[in-house]
Amino acid sequence: MSKRVLAVDDDPDIVMFVKTVLEENGYIPLIAKNGETGLSMARDESPDLIIMDVLMPRQSGIRMYRELKDDETLRNIPVIILSGIARRTFLRSQEALSEFGDHPVPEPEAYMEKPVEPAELAETVKNLID
Amino acid sequence: MKMNKILLIDDEEDILDVLSLSLRSDGYEVFTSTSGEKGLEEIEKESPSIVLTDLKMPGMDGLDVLERVKATNPDIEVIVITGHGDMDSAIDALRYGASDFVNKPVSEAALHIALKRAREKIVIREKLRAYTLDLENMCQIAIGEVKRKSDFQDKLITSSNDGIVATDENGIVVIFNPEAEAIFGIPRIDVVRKAYYADLFPAEIADVFGLMFDNGKKMGDVGWKEVIIHRNESDVPVRFSATLLYDGEDIIGSVGFFQDLSEINRLESELVKSERLAAIGQTVSRLAHYIKNILAGLKGGTYIVNISLDKNDTDKLRTGWHMVERNVGRISYLVADLLAYSREREPEYRICLPNDIVEDVCELLDGMAMENQIEVERDFDPSIKEISMDPDMVHRILLNLVSNAVDACIFDLDETKQHKVRVGARLEGDNLIRFEVADNGCGMREEIKKKIFSAFFSTKGGKGTGLGLLVVQKLVQEHNGIIDILSELGEGSTFIVRLPYGKVE
Repeated sequence: MSKRVLAVDDDPDIVMFVKTVLEENGYIPLIAKNGETGLSMARDESPDLIIMDVLMPRQSGIRMYRELKDDETLRNIPVIILSGIARRTFLRSQEALSEFGDHPVPEPEAYMEKPVEPAELAETVKNLID
Repeated sequence: MKMNKILLIDDEEDILDVLSLSLRSDGYEVFTSTSGEKGLEEIEKESPSIVLTDLKMPGMDGLDVLERVKATNPDIEVIVITGHGDMDSAIDALRYGASDFVNKPVSEAALHIALKRAREKIVIREKLRAYTLDLENMCQIAIGEVKRKSDFQDKLITSSNDGIVATDENGIVVIFNPEAEAIFGIPRIDVVRKAYYADLFPAEIADVFGLMFDNGKKMGDVGWKEVIIHRNESDVPVRFSATLLYDGEDIIGSVGFFQDLSEINRLESELVKSERLAAIGQTVSRLAHYIKNILAGLKGGTYIVNISLDKNDTDKLRTGWHMVERNVGRISYLVADLLAYSREREPEYRICLPNDIVEDVCELLDGMAMENQIEVERDFDPSIKEISMDPDMVHRILLNLVSNAVDACIFDLDETKQHKVRVGARLEGDNLIRFEVADNGCGMREEIKKKIFSAFFSTKGGKGTGLGLLVVQKLVQEHNGIIDILSELGEGSTFIVRLPYGKVE
């Protein structure tokens, strides 16, 4: 049975791109356009992998990531963060959030900076769930 | 010194007895000696304030005693007793410093007067001495004070960061401090009491001093002026101020203060440069980020196009191509904004229908608004006729404002709201057109409101260039219009733009 991958991004171009890469490589894509929808889909659909941006309106990316990693049942779904911001900047922002009182969350299983090559994305997905 | 101690010296003991009896009864403390030699010893021992001595004595006579006393204790008053009619000796004695003489036989009245005078002399001398001492002390204190003040002023002038040049009433330089040496590049020794101000100062400054000397008080102080001093190798930018010095109504000199501005100028230009570099760095990084997003869209589009071509999938091909087109559009907008921001542009007035422009902007953003459940409400006054303004500027202004309003709704944390953007247009007075873009989105905090027109500021992360409102502000200014902003955090924002227009006859 094909693995299902949830792609969460507010940029329709990125969603379309990721969706196509997933289809081309034999995965079933699930699509969400913001963090709120993304989180509820993660709960309802229990995907095998989540590809998500962290910079989305209303800080929904950052909140979604923290909630995923805080939730017993969701924590083990591997996450690829695909974002315009550098990995270093993302990790620093997470540290800052922890310093402000939130407890620390684990790093994502993979971090990719936009723009990403289709082959590279496919390879990363494959390494995490096959 | 005790004033009532008297030493009597006489070789005739009965005279001593009589006199001491009478003096004691007058309250004096009396000592007696029967010879000059013994008298001197007694003086050393008792330090009397008055000595009454007979002139004619065997051995050391009265004049000798007088001489010795005056040599060693000039403050002791000596009264001599002279034989009747011995005027010569009496005069000698007075010459040697006796305070008085009494004739033999000594009458009580004469003695009384002589003693009184001697006492008065002592009192006066004491007072005089006290006054003198006082005066000397005061002098000392005053001299010290003056010296301290002058030292202090000297140090003040010497160590001042300003160059200080003072002249006397004739314009001859009298003060030229080290900073002045540095500014003018001339050693003090070549200038002080040698140079006339006009020889020292460049014409610009010399003229000011000339005017000041000519006009005196009418002219008043000369406030800070900036001039360039041409020194041997380099030019020194200098700020200077000048004033005349008066003693009452009389001019006693002039003083000029000079500040070397080279260091200040250097720091200022360095600051400007580093601020500009920082701004450029920020700008470039923000733009790179934004372009990276567009690039991601373009890459995704070409990837999908390639796959669809391989598979002959026309639907997918259309999707991919649409992505490419949309991102080409984003680049066009970016370039247009960049050019609008960087180029000075006079508005090009053309006849147009404002409502058509606003409708076009709304249509461009309807799609995005609908995708995010945002309503774009048109609130145009249908009676607006053709007017003359720059339609391209207005289009760009409104496109930026409406797309910001849509973003403000998308970014709003409150999901229970029915988000709405209202775009209004109407005429005001007979020469203003008023556009209003209002949203009920996230609104702005005070500190954000202050920053929205600063270069490349954005709250949209990688999805904003920070150019939009900068361009809006610039275009509104170029069109001689004004922009007003109302915003409440959590309630939404309203941007009101008023532009002057030309009437169409």
